[in-house]
Amino acid sequence: MGTISERDIVTLCGQVGTILLENGAETARVENTVEYIGRTIDLPVVCHATMTGIFVSSEKSAATRIFKVRVGDFNLQKVDEINTLSRQFSRHEITYDKLKKEVQKVDTETPDFSWVIKCIGAGLVSMPPMLLFKATWKDLFLGFFVGILGYVVSQYVGRHTTTAYIPVAMGSLVLSTVAHILGVTNIANDANYIIISALMPLVPGVPMTNSLREIIERNTISGAVRAIDAIMSGISIGGGVIIGQILVKTVFGG
Amino acid sequence: MMDIVYGFIFGFLSSVGFGIITNNPRRTLIPSGFVGAIAWIVYIVVGWYNHGLVMPNLMGSIVIGILGNLCAILFRSPVNIFYVPCLVSLVPGAILYDSMKNFALGKDSLAAYGFIKALTVGMSLAVGFIIAEVIANKIFPPVKRYMSQRENRKKND
Repeated sequence: MGTISERDIVTLCGQVGTILLENGAETARVENTVEYIGRTIDLPVVCHATMTGIFVSSEKSAATRIFKVRVGDFNLQKVDEINTLSRQFSRHEITYDKLKKEVQKVDTETPDFSWVIKCIGAGLVSMPPMLLFKATWKDLFLGFFVGILGYVVSQYVGRHTTTAYIPVAMGSLVLSTVAHILGVTNIANDANYIIISALMPLVPGVPMTNSLREIIERNTISGAVRAIDAIMSGISIGGGVIIGQILVKTVFGG
Repeated sequence: MMDIVYGFIFGFLSSVGFGIITNNPRRTLIPSGFVGAIAWIVYIVVGWYNHGLVMPNLMGSIVIGILGNLCAILFRSPVNIFYVPCLVSLVPGAILYDSMKNFALGKDSLAAYGFIKALTVGMSLAVGFIIAEVIANKIFPPVKRYMSQRENRKKND
């Protein structure tokens, strides 16, 4: 394998790590996978991953690269594909060139679910909290559609702005306005239950839990970054909901 | 009894739904749905006997952790792929939102109370995963060995 330059290998390792981290893998897994790939090519690399950057360095020489990462939404399909590739590679089932090509392919073209199916998925997520509140079937039904609405708005806004936290805030604003209108006009029994369950696709519950998991595993920096991120989006969601509530109350006088 | 049936159905649907949002690989959707449903039932049943916040969440996440690790071996995928969709019905998202709403409204003590509650739930989920991982590392290696043996045999045939 003497033909491949060390720089090339380090770059590839960094790309793999970036894809994994951007799409929702935990930092320990990122570091493991990258170091595994390096060991397979007979070039031991050291990888240090935090939520905002990945450092990959070869142990034999001074080749080091830093990759900037912007953690986005979950896209677990990519994580799974990279995982499969690295497994095949470490069992020597695919060559280095093949791995390189496949990694580029995963980065650019990965199958995704269609819009309609994603919306139905968001609606389904919005249902279970209703059971805990012993809500009526009508509220459950309404929660399904309000949840879809909030998800669609936040995704739509997310495509048109790069500012963080604005998409979730807008989504929760629209969702809370609609839910309060439903409540004021007596179509729904309790607007608050609908809001809480419709927020399920937006709230940062999973990042919060993941951050605590990372802190327990002693990846303190990534854990802290994730936790602050979760709290910030919690604040923006809360703000959005309250603005919607105030809007409806001023218009309808409740 | 009806609670359990509804719990199973909606736990399944919500896990599959979140799996769709996070673009899970197709082959893991149904298993993660079942794991999520079982965890949700455990959460409900433990909640009948213990009204605290910690125990139901802890037991639920231990179940997710063990079954998730098993599924990760059976379906050959990272274990995080099973954790994320199954967690969605347990996570303290709604509590965190509620606390932040109170914070924005100026009800500081309610906000602090809610935030501590959210942290408690998150902590018990995280500790549950650690416990589950320790158990899984002890009991699952034979399964893993069996799987790889079977695969090798298939390749040799």
